[in-house]
Amino acid sequence: MIHFDHVSKRFEDGQYGLKQINLQIEEGAMAFITGHSGAGKSTLMRLIALLDRPTRGQLIVDGRNMAKLPNREIPFHRRKVGMIFQDHRLLNDRSVYENVALPLQVIGASPRDSGKRVRAALDKVGLLKKEKSLPASLSGGEQQRVGIARALVTRPPILLADEPTGNLDPELSREIMDLFLAFNQIGVTTLIASHDLALINQLNRPVIKLHEGSIARV
Amino acid sequence: MFEQHKRAIRIALGDLFQRPLASLMTVLVLAIALALPATLLALLNLGEQLTSEWSHERTVTMFLKADVDAEAALLLSATIEEIEGVDSTELRTSADALAEFRLYSGFGDALDALDENPLPNHILIHPSEISDNDAIGELVSHLATLPESDLVEYDQAWVERLNSFTETARRFADALALALAIAVVMIIGNTIRLEIATRHSEIEITRLVGGTDGFIRRPFLYTGMLYGFSGALLGWLLVSLLLLFLKSPLHDLEILYATSLPLNPFDLQRLAILLPAGTLLGMAGAVLTVGRHLATIQPE
Ligand SMILES: Nc1ncnc2c1ncn2[C@@H]1O[C@H](COP(=O)(O)OP(=O)(O)OP(=O)(O)O)[C@@H](O)[C@H]1O
Ligand SMILES: [Mg+2]
Repeated sequence: MIHFDHVSKRFEDGQYGLKQINLQIEEGAMAFITGHSGAGKSTLMRLIALLDRPTRGQLIVDGRNMAKLPNREIPFHRRKVGMIFQDHRLLNDRSVYENVALPLQVIGASPRDSGKRVRAALDKVGLLKKEKSLPASLSGGEQQRVGIARALVTRPPILLADEPTGNLDPELSREIMDLFLAFNQIGVTTLIASHDLALINQLNRPVIKLHEGSIARV
Repeated sequence: MFEQHKRAIRIALGDLFQRPLASLMTVLVLAIALALPATLLALLNLGEQLTSEWSHERTVTMFLKADVDAEAALLLSATIEEIEGVDSTELRTSADALAEFRLYSGFGDALDALDENPLPNHILIHPSEISDNDAIGELVSHLATLPESDLVEYDQAWVERLNSFTETARRFADALALALAIAVVMIIGNTIRLEIATRHSEIEITRLVGGTDGFIRRPFLYTGMLYGFSGALLGWLLVSLLLLFLKSPLHDLEILYATSLPLNPFDLQRLAILLPAGTLLGMAGAVLTVGRHLATIQPE
């Protein structure tokens, strides 16, 4: 599903985000990415979602070469990749419902169809009763779950989560991880960047350790 | 696709009504910018109509000496009608002239204070179609030699002056229309630029979840068109009210010159030009701004 072949990312200032990464993630797999701050975790995820282009090597996602994908196809690629961020990236002036409905509007779903799918997604993350709330009125864990509902409402084949539990207490973190496990169970290829080694170790999944832009250990 | 247009229109309307006062101000400014050239052009059309009528109406006026009485004047009038190159003549007695003056000048009471009618008898002489200016010139000099004649007037010069004035005014109006069209584009462009800035994070997140440029651009294009459309509608109303205000003095002018000035304040044809023009200018403003600013907003 995701194939890195000697991929490097060099920024305009000459800094390397990633150096010669080789990595293969099969369809339906789930893996963690760890490493110190600045190791390149976010950079790796950004390349998969085409928020940045690799400067060297070949990155294939879902059969397509990320270096060569024309700009106009980037939106269609991103629809295959659900993204979750530590800072949630919700629209604070829109209700929970509207936040989760945005990816459906983007693909032109009818309001009726949207309604069903938004509620199904909110139900899965346990926020059905909060659909009318504004994000600011929710707790950090709840906001993160809104982000998860938004990332998965269109059922993308790939899910990327960049430090999704960064601000949460251990119990909430575990709940969020359990959600990811459940989605992975139904076939979503899942990649999670996290510092939380204690939690990762409980879950018994492959861990990719980055160090200064290179893979230190798998 | 239909859903996305509905969504875009909903967002555009929402933005317009989010800050109703600010939107109203913008629409008002646009309306004034559109109404100004439209009013000028309407008045110019009127002026051109008037001068073209006047320049066809080539009338020689012969003022008679005070001692020529009405009977003699009538006789003279009939004699002149027989002259080669004259189509018809009309006698205006001093009484006619007085009545007309009383009606339009507003100095009726002043006239009553006079013992005698100060206005002379005069004959209006309409040259025939084929007479050119030279022929009319000869006619004028001939008429001037008649013993009853006090003064013979044939003045085309002022019609020509008026003509060149309206010509200049038309060019000015065209240039003004162009300048204000550019202003409309810039005002709408600037409004949309602010709109884009306030929706920065929404654009970013829409890109994250796979929104195409078209999807992101669409609401802004509708916003531009909506501003242009509303400005044109209000502008049309402004022009109409202004012309309505001019209607009654113009009506007096119509009677005075016995012409009809087709001034229709609430002209639907004008609306049919203003609305698409405003909408298009709005869209142009939106396209130009969106093209420059949206691409710079990319997700972090
Ligand atoms: N836009 C950029 N321009 C220049 N350098 C960058 C840019 N983005 C990231 N970097 C550099 O690339 C390296 C990897 O950054 P990255 O954000 O991937 O680290 P990370 O593993 O996600 O760290 P953290 O755990 O702090 O989020 C860092 O040294 C960072 O300074
Ligand atoms: Mg990071």
